[in-house]
Amino acid sequence: MRFTLLGLLLGFLGIVSALSATGSSLLVIIEEEADKSKYSQFWADLQGRGYEITYRSPKDTNLSLFLHGEPAYSHLLLLPPKSKGLGPNLTPNLLVDFINGGSNILLALSAEQAVPTAINSLLLELDINLPSDRTSLVVDHLAYDLTSSAEKHDVLLIPSAEPKKGVVDFFSVDGLVAFPRAVGQVLGNASPMLSSIVKAGASAYIYNPKEETEGVEDPFATGSQINIVSAFQARNSARFTVLGSSEALQDTWFDAKVRLPGTDYKAGKTSNKEFAQRLSEWAFKEIGVLRVEQVQHSLDEDTKDINPKIYRVKNDVRYSIEISEWDVDQWIPFNPPTGDAVQLEFSMLSPFHRLSLNSSPSTTNKDATAFSTTFRTPDQHGIFNFYVEYRRPFFTAIEDKQTVTVRHFAHDEFPRSYEISAAWPWISGIWVTIGGWLAFVAIWLYSKPTRDNKPASAKK
Amino acid sequence: MAPKKNAAAGANSQSTSSSTPATNTPVSNKPSSTSTASRNASTNPQDIATGIWENYVNNTPQRVKLIDTFMLFLVIVGGLQFLYCILAGNYPFNAFLSGFSATVGQFVLTASLRIQTNSANAADFKQLSHERAFADFVFGSMILHFFCVNFIN
Repeated sequence: MRFTLLGLLLGFLGIVSALSATGSSLLVIIEEEADKSKYSQFWADLQGRGYEITYRSPKDTNLSLFLHGEPAYSHLLLLPPKSKGLGPNLTPNLLVDFINGGSNILLALSAEQAVPTAINSLLLELDINLPSDRTSLVVDHLAYDLTSSAEKHDVLLIPSAEPKKGVVDFFSVDGLVAFPRAVGQVLGNASPMLSSIVKAGASAYIYNPKEETEGVEDPFATGSQINIVSAFQARNSARFTVLGSSEALQDTWFDAKVRLPGTDYKAGKTSNKEFAQRLSEWAFKEIGVLRVEQVQHSLDEDTKDINPKIYRVKNDVRYSIEISEWDVDQWIPFNPPTGDAVQLEFSMLSPFHRLSLNSSPSTTNKDATAFSTTFRTPDQHGIFNFYVEYRRPFFTAIEDKQTVTVRHFAHDEFPRSYEISAAWPWISGIWVTIGGWLAFVAIWLYSKPTRDNKPASAKK
Repeated sequence: MAPKKNAAAGANSQSTSSSTPATNTPVSNKPSSTSTASRNASTNPQDIATGIWENYVNNTPQRVKLIDTFMLFLVIVGGLQFLYCILAGNYPFNAFLSGFSATVGQFVLTASLRIQTNSANAADFKQLSHERAFADFVFGSMILHFFCVNFIN
């Protein structure tokens, strides 16, 4: 539904979706025209991937994120402004509306300038916390770049994290990624919509260079609490990505020569270019977008009658859902990461069944994987849902609900008593009783009471 | 405990002693052989039982005996079905209900037939002929059988 609305909008704008699953119009907020050239490789990469980039300054009075009440762009890249704030056209409220409209935001921060309060409060809305003094950066005395920050230790060199079990791995690159003068974020642990993309090393901490004191007392966050890159996916699956270091996207750091201190003095080039590509692919919905293709349910023995409205209790039911995944420029069959499974709930208020679905290549659609299972409807009549809810980090959410009625047995659908061997003694009990009764009636009618016996009792 | 037990025993002995004359009084009209036998053996439980049994055999009308035999048959059939339910479980429950209630219902109907046709109760059923009572019994039994066969499915 959301996709179709957005597609309609994009049709009006005359923009054809090239790579991203949602659209190719990208608005870049950059304050000074001169800074544009610093990111030339990144722009070239984006344009090469089919994005139509519009550059605007936050001071531009004509700047508007919306056209006729709908987001005017599919994606927004916010580079850190030189001035104190983002201006009246990019208030936190408007940015949240922009996400609610289904568009994606990639927000780049930098510790070079103080983070605007507007951005601070926007991030607080999403349960992402920044250091309160707004000029702090992340330092790591064990994982810095010797060539560029031998003194300050503020250029972090971070390798890709080990992929977690059951979580898709979109961001891992070979080698080290440099994050110069990064703003560390701390994610609230209550929100299931937040996930961390890059974490600082165990020896990192947040430090304010403007503070006069020697050494750091009571730092805002330390170690892997600090997120250098973090992601937020809204309920409508719009993506909001926070990149702690905007410099990481600059040409200087694409394939820069760096040296990591340590016993082996590992030297080499940074993988920033590849990481920037991966990050923008994800942030602008080129990867990790899931779509439900076809949902079928039927009786197990009668697969011709597809998606009937009504089932009976204790029916054997077959359910199948086809899911495909957008991968840069095409739909491919979706396979959940190892250790994860798509699950089906058969629920009335609460689930009566929660089953992991078995995946197999779809027979009808080469771009989709069919997830299917068979199960027996519970001994409970009512209105039930076939409910598939798949919400995982870095994947857009899938929610599919098919409502059916489950009726009880009709009175002629119960098995006959003689089909149940346990009932045989009672069946014979009835017939023995009836037979005995017939014999009794026969003897009663046959034997007329003898008058001789009667007087003895009749006298009483 | 002990005094209570004694009291119960006393009550028992009293009831047996009181029941003995009660059974004896109607028997006193009978031929002397039986009455003397029961009177002489009034303290021996086995003789009391034999006395009651002989009394029953001699004094009960033949149709009442037939009814009693049928009722005993129903008790046995019903008891077996109940025993099976305890041992093998009550699935399918409707089969148990209809099988067991067939015997119970038949027992109740037969008992009312016994009351209505027993000549000892003739005074209470002056306006009701035995034929009418029997017809009621047959009608009621057929309804019962129809219900049970239908209910067991």
